[in-house]
Amino acid sequence: MKPVDRRLMHYAAAARAFFGVGAVLALAQVVCVVAFAWLVSSIVVSAIEGAPLTALAGSLAWLVVVVLVRSALAWLMEVNAARGATVVKSQLRREVLQALPRLGPSWLSTRNRAAVSTVVTSGLDALDTYFSKYLPQLILTVVVTPVVLVVLFFWDWESGLTVLLTLPLIPLFMVLIGWATQKAQTEQWQQLGRLSGAFLDVVEGLSTLKVFGREKRQTARIRAVTDEYRSATMKVLRMSFLSGFALELAASLAVALVAVSIGLRLVNGSLALGVGLFVLMLAPEAFLPLRQVGAQFHAAADGVAATDDVFEILDAAGRGAVGADYSATRATRATRATRATRATRATRVSVSDVSVRYADRVAVEHFSATFAGGALSVLAGPSGAGKSTLVAALLGFVEFDGSVQLGDRRGGGGESTPLRSMPLHREAIAWAGQRPGLLAGSIASNVSLGDVSPSAALVAEALRLAAAGDLAKDFVLGVNGTGLSGGQAQRVAVARAFYRHLSRGCPVVVLDEPSSALDRATEAALIAGVREVAERGAIVVVVSHRPAFRTAADQVVRMVAPVGIAEPIAAAAAAAAAAATAGAPLSAKVG
Amino acid sequence: MLTSEVLRLAQPRWRAFAPGLIFGVLSAAAAVALLATSAWLITRAADEPPILFLSAAIVGVRAAALGRASFRYLERLQSHDAAFRGLADLRVSIYERLIPLAPDGLRGTRRGDLLARLVGDVDELQNLPLRVVQPLATSLIVAVAAVVGVSILLPAAGLALAVTLALAFALGTLVNARLAGRAERDLSPVRADFADGTLDVVSNLDVLVAFGAVDARLDHLRDTESRLTRAALGTASGTGAVAGVVSLLAGAATFCGLLFGVPALGVVTGVAGSAGAAAVAAAAGAGTFGAVFAGGAIDGPVLAMLALVPIAVFEVFGMVPLAVGAWRQVRVSAERVAQAVPTVVPPEIPADVPVQDLRVGAIASAIELRGLSARWPEARGDAFGGVSLSIRPGDRVLVTGPSGAGKTTLAHALVRFLDYGGEYTIGGVEARALPAEEVRRTVGLCEQQPYLFDANLRQNLLFARESATDHDLLNVLERVGLRDWALERGGLSAHVGERGALVSGGQAQRIALARALLAGFPVVIFDEPTANVDPDQADLLLADLLAVAGPRRSVVLISHADVPQALVTQTLRLA
Repeated sequence: MKPVDRRLMHYAAAARAFFGVGAVLALAQVVCVVAFAWLVSSIVVSAIEGAPLTALAGSLAWLVVVVLVRSALAWLMEVNAARGATVVKSQLRREVLQALPRLGPSWLSTRNRAAVSTVVTSGLDALDTYFSKYLPQLILTVVVTPVVLVVLFFWDWESGLTVLLTLPLIPLFMVLIGWATQKAQTEQWQQLGRLSGAFLDVVEGLSTLKVFGREKRQTARIRAVTDEYRSATMKVLRMSFLSGFALELAASLAVALVAVSIGLRLVNGSLALGVGLFVLMLAPEAFLPLRQVGAQFHAAADGVAATDDVFEILDAAGRGAVGADYSATRATRATRATRATRATRATRVSVSDVSVRYADRVAVEHFSATFAGGALSVLAGPSGAGKSTLVAALLGFVEFDGSVQLGDRRGGGGESTPLRSMPLHREAIAWAGQRPGLLAGSIASNVSLGDVSPSAALVAEALRLAAAGDLAKDFVLGVNGTGLSGGQAQRVAVARAFYRHLSRGCPVVVLDEPSSALDRATEAALIAGVREVAERGAIVVVVSHRPAFRTAADQVVRMVAPVGIAEPIAAAAAAAAAAATAGAPLSAKVG
Repeated sequence: MLTSEVLRLAQPRWRAFAPGLIFGVLSAAAAVALLATSAWLITRAADEPPILFLSAAIVGVRAAALGRASFRYLERLQSHDAAFRGLADLRVSIYERLIPLAPDGLRGTRRGDLLARLVGDVDELQNLPLRVVQPLATSLIVAVAAVVGVSILLPAAGLALAVTLALAFALGTLVNARLAGRAERDLSPVRADFADGTLDVVSNLDVLVAFGAVDARLDHLRDTESRLTRAALGTASGTGAVAGVVSLLAGAATFCGLLFGVPALGVVTGVAGSAGAAAVAAAAGAGTFGAVFAGGAIDGPVLAMLALVPIAVFEVFGMVPLAVGAWRQVRVSAERVAQAVPTVVPPEIPADVPVQDLRVGAIASAIELRGLSARWPEARGDAFGGVSLSIRPGDRVLVTGPSGAGKTTLAHALVRFLDYGGEYTIGGVEARALPAEEVRRTVGLCEQQPYLFDANLRQNLLFARESATDHDLLNVLERVGLRDWALERGGLSAHVGERGALVSGGQAQRIALARALLAGFPVVIFDEPTANVDPDQADLLLADLLAVAGPRRSVVLISHADVPQALVTQTLRLA
């Protein structure tokens, strides 16, 4: 571990101000330390030499002043540290929030989302101790220790030498033990992340565990995982604390050496008592900051490990490893495209020769289709055929080969006006995904998502079209849209897409499995709404396996799984056939 | 759950806690002894006595130096280990309290909050033994010992030390409470808000991007972040004030040691000194105070100790106000942990029945329902009612009805996630009289949204039947039509991802189906098994699962979609 991570200064400019103020305060602090030791030792010596209290009044008054200044400095140092930690955390949090849209949904889908949230929230709190305990002591070490050393050498070079020779042992131990613990510390932080995920995973999957009668066993697992965490942490701590032990030992033994040597020289009469006491009080001060640095070593390591995760996100965003920026403000070019589509009347979406490849497999291969305006197109195909991937490609969430063009007719003229085509932008699409993806807030605020001045009339209209007119618009949902049933959430998500279509004139409406959680009656109502939207001129593409949607469709486009991916239909059929012929053995095996 | 109960769980047992405390006291005592003995040694040496008189002090100085470091190391190891052991107990007991409530008794718990609570607050509770109890106990013991020691040397100085220490305690906590108490209380909810908001954005980034709402959400989140930062800055001045006050009182203690010690020194050094002290006593009230309490004779070495011991004691005592600050945060976390776990189980959640020897055999899996009704916690009325049904082994019961008709409620009542009204017997035994686990051994549920653990495919299947071999697992996967897909993904060791993120809806349903087959329930309830499966597959899948179920197993199929009548033996329509 480096004493201070360079990236911290790079990403958090506030850290520089913290160090600047800290250095000034440390300088004032060292003056107080020397003055306090000098005053106390001189008062004691004068008193022993017979000076009455009245004669010492001046020194005592100065002592009061020094004590007052010292306490003010202690206060300011703490304030500086707490402010530094707070402001730096704030800056890092903001940078991560800024980075998220740059990284985009496809980057996030490869991560544990709870872990990403933890990094920005409780993970960064490890910086608190880093700033309040470690860094101020680091500054003091740099400022106070050399000054105290110089003073010691000036008054008693032998004590100064003892301290000077003992001091380097401390950084030496730090480096040696630091090397030994670095790997273990990094592992511990990863394990902590894994552990927080594991505990939550068990709690969230509790109903499934209960169904299978495994809920009680998890107690042992939680205990085992926590115990694993304890022993891993203790392994690190034994080493970290060992460095603390070495530092404490070096510091205490140095003070003991100084004290004994001064005592012996006083017996010889080769040293004045005043100097002896002064040096005795000052010697621990040379070690104090360094001891604190050592004692807070593991807190510092935690802080650095916590920032590592943050820096990883920031570095990924900085590298621009992900092509597009998903933030709306950067998409001015696309906004212009939206205006263009609004002014014209889009009549079709042409998908030509689109392929999507992931690192390990092909999800969509050479797919072409045309979706017409004013019509309901249903995209069908077995699971794994790449329907949702195609939708992600339309939205620009995944990179693809081939082209997706929006064909439009300028000014809404007749058939004679030539078709103009342009790349389809996300801004021209109103979309509802397979997962409802609702947010905390009222149903109305969910439906009008992305609209700065929502229209209550349009919200009602959108809900009606999505067969969700019965839901209370001001009903408030929890985080991730909790509080609605699956079918209700689904319809609100569809209403949200309709609202966008109605309010912004997005020509394309894409719905991914909009009725998977609906009963037939509600589904029929939804289909009526979808048809109404289509008949008003929208290009409606619905991904669905439901017969009702296929019956209602003007066009059904089938997708087939890319070569190399077996169709589950075939497997299920084979299994059914096997079960039919050999039914008894199969059931015997299961039962 | 009560806050005091959470705190009790967070505090390790005395036996685990004591070693750390003892080592802590020894280490702190050694630190005070090091400075005190050194001061005595040096001042005594100035009188140039024979070296023999000093040898005990020299040994004492060295012993204290060694003791401080060694005891400190042992203390930290012991106390951390004890705290971590306590954490395991705490996690487990929180989890055990969730078990009877899940899933339907926990519906009000927002996920973001749950995350913040279980990760943040439980981790925060580790600070109770480490940062609250241990430093408080250590410094109090050492402070009392130091006050007693100093009082023996010079009662007035002892009293001054006691007063400054008590003031440091009172003022430090009081000032802290005044300046930072409110801000700190504000901090926790804002932090939870920020965690919720962050989770919302991170989980739904695709939606926010598609709707061009990323910037608005991030702006909102930035506002929350600003509130969080403001609240945190509010606490900053509080922590600082505590440090300032402690430093001030430490200086005052040394000052008082000198103020009372110097006149007392006069008593022993001679008549002149005595007269000087008397003169001061006449001049200043403090002097009178000192002379009255001084009572006896102190020499130079003792004066040096009186001046230096407070410095060392306050170094130890400095952790007290910080411990009090840590205590407030621990208490807030404990309160929220307590809130997350309701004390009273809602009446709609079945109470636990102790496990008996009674076992429901294969023949006893016949189910009778008479006038059955059930409701969700906090619901105004029953989700369904008046359901009467006989399910014999081998039956195929189709349950249909529109959304909200209570189909899932029925499923949850049958597996005893929810309590019921009316009669529900399994093999002639009232289900209420059976342990819920026993009921679930007979009646299995394939949930509408199956939960996939953040683990590989094997681990996601194996918990349904732990004795299953890879061969068994692949067989089951073949039956649900996933074998080739699984092999394509890298076999049973393929990761299914966080909450099944790497698996499509239909595939997740198939994995859940495979689990139910592995577990081998005599009665299986399928809650909308074909909701996310293609229609051309759906019929085959239904035929498949009914065939696989075999002639002796009964199946309750909940579906809003059409099911061929030939496949079912009876139909229950909920309205």
